[in-house]
Amino acid sequence: MSGFKVNRRDFLRVLGWGGASTALVGCDMPTTVTLEEGKEDVVAYFMPEEYVIPGVGVWYASTCTQCAAGCGIHGRVREGRALKLEGNPESVINRGKTCMMGQAGVQAHYNPDRLTQPLMREGGALKPASWEVALKKIAEKTASANGDRVAWLSGAVSGHQAVLINDVLNTFGSKQHFVHETIHASVWQAVARDMLGDAQPVLRMDKAKSILSFGADFLGTWQSPVHFATQYAKFRSGKRGVLIQVEPKMSLTGGSADAWVAVRPGTEGILALGIAQNLVKRGWAKGEVPAKLKEVLAKYELGMVANATGVAGDRIQRITAALKDHAPSLVLAGAPVEGGENGYDAVSAVMLLNILLGNIGQTIEPAAQFAEARMQARSGGTRGALEFSKLAAAKKLDVAFISHANPVYHAPGFMKMKDAMANVGFKVVMTQFPDETAMQADVVLPLYSAIEDWGTHVAAYNGGVATLSFQQPLMEPLYKDTRGFGDVALSLLKQRKPKEYAAFNDYYAYLKASVSNMPAAVAKGDKNKDAAWNALLQKGVLETKATVGKFKVNTATVAAVADVSADVQFPYRLLPSARLGLWDGRHANSPWLQESPDQISKVVWGSWVEMHPVTAAKLGVKSGDYVRVTSAQGSLEAQAYVFNGIHPEAIAVPLGQGHQEYGRYAKGLGVNPYAILNPVIEKKTGEVAAYATRVSVTKLDKSARLVHMGSSDTQMGRKLVSTIPATVYRRTEGEA
Amino acid sequence: MSFKNILENWSAFRKDAEAGGHHKYDHRWGMAINLDVCTGCNACSTACYAENNLAVVGKDRFEKGQAMHWMRIERYWDDADRQFPERGASFLPMMCQQCGAATCEPVCPVAATYHTPDGLNAQVYNRCIGSRYCSNNCPFRVRYFNFYSYYETWAEPLNQQLNPDISVRDKGVMEKCTFCVQRIRASNDKAKMENRAIADGEVQTACAQACPTGAIVFGDTMDPNSAVNKLWAKHEVKRGDYLSKKPKVNAEKRGYRIFEELNVDPSVMYLERVREEI
Repeated sequence: MSGFKVNRRDFLRVLGWGGASTALVGCDMPTTVTLEEGKEDVVAYFMPEEYVIPGVGVWYASTCTQCAAGCGIHGRVREGRALKLEGNPESVINRGKTCMMGQAGVQAHYNPDRLTQPLMREGGALKPASWEVALKKIAEKTASANGDRVAWLSGAVSGHQAVLINDVLNTFGSKQHFVHETIHASVWQAVARDMLGDAQPVLRMDKAKSILSFGADFLGTWQSPVHFATQYAKFRSGKRGVLIQVEPKMSLTGGSADAWVAVRPGTEGILALGIAQNLVKRGWAKGEVPAKLKEVLAKYELGMVANATGVAGDRIQRITAALKDHAPSLVLAGAPVEGGENGYDAVSAVMLLNILLGNIGQTIEPAAQFAEARMQARSGGTRGALEFSKLAAAKKLDVAFISHANPVYHAPGFMKMKDAMANVGFKVVMTQFPDETAMQADVVLPLYSAIEDWGTHVAAYNGGVATLSFQQPLMEPLYKDTRGFGDVALSLLKQRKPKEYAAFNDYYAYLKASVSNMPAAVAKGDKNKDAAWNALLQKGVLETKATVGKFKVNTATVAAVADVSADVQFPYRLLPSARLGLWDGRHANSPWLQESPDQISKVVWGSWVEMHPVTAAKLGVKSGDYVRVTSAQGSLEAQAYVFNGIHPEAIAVPLGQGHQEYGRYAKGLGVNPYAILNPVIEKKTGEVAAYATRVSVTKLDKSARLVHMGSSDTQMGRKLVSTIPATVYRRTEGEA
Repeated sequence: MSFKNILENWSAFRKDAEAGGHHKYDHRWGMAINLDVCTGCNACSTACYAENNLAVVGKDRFEKGQAMHWMRIERYWDDADRQFPERGASFLPMMCQQCGAATCEPVCPVAATYHTPDGLNAQVYNRCIGSRYCSNNCPFRVRYFNFYSYYETWAEPLNQQLNPDISVRDKGVMEKCTFCVQRIRASNDKAKMENRAIADGEVQTACAQACPTGAIVFGDTMDPNSAVNKLWAKHEVKRGDYLSKKPKVNAEKRGYRIFEELNVDPSVMYLERVREEI
């Protein structure tokens, strides 16, 4: 600190805090940290480092970054190697549990295709360079850039990483931070904001006695899957809640449903209004129903709704009765609903059910957000990439920084992201892997893996408890020419504001100083800063104060939901379904996750096209036959998987494959349905309507065995998975 | 040896299976898997790959049925003949059932697969000659054979993730779920050093630890206070029940063991899936 005059408020702002007045104590920040001092020396194996006990594994707390949910983890380290990740029981997100992607975190770290040194474009090709040269090049190229001609495109980020991105952009006077996530809940959040006054309400599945989910794959890909799975376990225990899943294609959550209801793709919102109408008509709606709302609902009579959705009228009545009988309930909407061209209206119709059923305040509670706004999660959907691609294509960007994201692969084909990026003056890509976006960069900065890096994380969905989750290195970096994301961001800041950031030799020093100066408004401080810091790292999570909102219920935005139009040339709707495992494709380079079968189809190592037996019969297709799926934007070819867990008017092609780069395990495997999406935008949110593309299917003259797990699709009369009716369960265990 | 002595020693081993049969057990590790909360998510299976150095075989070998997933999730369609699977899918986590009367054990020509005093079907890798008789004899299809030297396919530095607590198997060796025997042994040793009994919950298999819904409960079925034993008791599943040749005493209890009729005395109890009629 000495030698520079930085005023206290600025100092706190630099550290990510809004500037609450706390007394500053002397900062004796360590200049560097290594887990293994003297690594360069050759030391005999039988003379281990002081902290290494041969044969004994030690556990360190950290945070999983395999998706944006922010689960706390424990990593097992033996003889300096990280071996296994488990859930951190202290984390309110995952309560000691992990999903398959969390388990595969070690493979993202030890992946053989990681970038090991910076790359710079020279004469059209990317060539190895040193960090000094690469950073100097960035300093040169960005020196005269300013304002909104500088942009940062990232995946979901939070904590101090979000602060640093924001601060780098501030040095340019730019506000252009775009967040791009293929798997998102942006429409749900927009509707929650407009109808409840809270974009991220807490969903208490543990309190609910029934869940009606319109395609929300909360056990697989929706918001915080492990958190919801722990909640689901409570939901199913004791009196046992009832799960009704309404969707055009069976998701992982649909596989666990008491009642799985196939709905005509794109008409989920109509069904929701039909149920709402039925609730009002039978006098089961809680509270006063506004006249305007009654007017909207009037035309959603059973006959009309059954006709539009393909769900029989008596079924709709039984679903309505189930919600009333098993109160309190919880009604959710996920990707197939959010991704429709009528997404906002459809999700509004779903949210209306929560209001009519009296769930607000019962199973839906106001969010408790992390007290420091600048560290809150920046989640986003596909709108970020869309805006970014438009700016880039219009040559409105001189400099683009890209981190935590691979837009060239993830953006739908119609955005022509690769071509758009060619119009950006200078592109810096920070990544761990040689992905599609890195290949378009001018400078590629190779990052530490999550297991080597420092960080702090604030979950976008926190289940009602605000926490700051710490990420710490579990081992020394594998490659000496890689750097941490925070360190890189600090280097960028030092280029432009040397004085403010001079006190921090590295991201570790920055984080420690920030946490030591945490304002009382965020968390209660501890006088012994070092001990407090160590205790935090040991525990991994810090419960903080929260800003708790208050609901303001509003049904004025509920409107009629437009029906989907038929199309003779393209008779089917394309469902680019997501799956826990490969996620949006970011985990396609993990051999474990490639070899782990899709939970529903059980297919491994590739892409497939799901269709209903009725559709297959019409096309003369059986499982294993190659088919071509064509939209107005293009076509793709893959093997068919025929099963009855999909609506006959839908064709599903899972996300995750079709990489053109991204290392040996991902490259050239399967197809990416996002490549053939039609440019349909949901008008009220600006998100890509990913489930609104219409396609045709033709059979190709080629067939092969579809590589999948298991030889028998049925139990063939054996008692393998036995099922009992809930009436029996209630008699014997229900009250337990 | 007198005739009396033979009779006395003989009777010491003439216990019914519930009391351990002809084995003298210290522990009997077992599981309870609640199929009503199992979501089929694959967390257990991937955790098993991470813990047990399982080989990734790739697409071509997967097609030939050579995948090494010790813990796999079977998915069955019970409504395959209906228009839609209206009661969802049937997921079944399947791994070695560590049978008390295992069919794999007596057929091994070299005694590479044998019964341990804590109730596991152990596989001695360096004794195994790869006859694959055990695999042929397993009704659960949970034994996996190394057709290749998969360690050669572990690209640097993926091999640095390998768990040093257990071996990497070579070509020609049979392998299967061990109930994470390395974790059991470590906890056993620790308890012994601290001169105490091993506590319930002290050992968790990798699959049980990862399971997001807590569907898998692992523990010592001989410990009357263990969570797993309490579940077995609550659902009226007993070891050695097959000797009675009676159908389940209480049809309303959810507990059952797969292929009970084969009399192999599995150590894994499943709890039935529940479905509400809507």
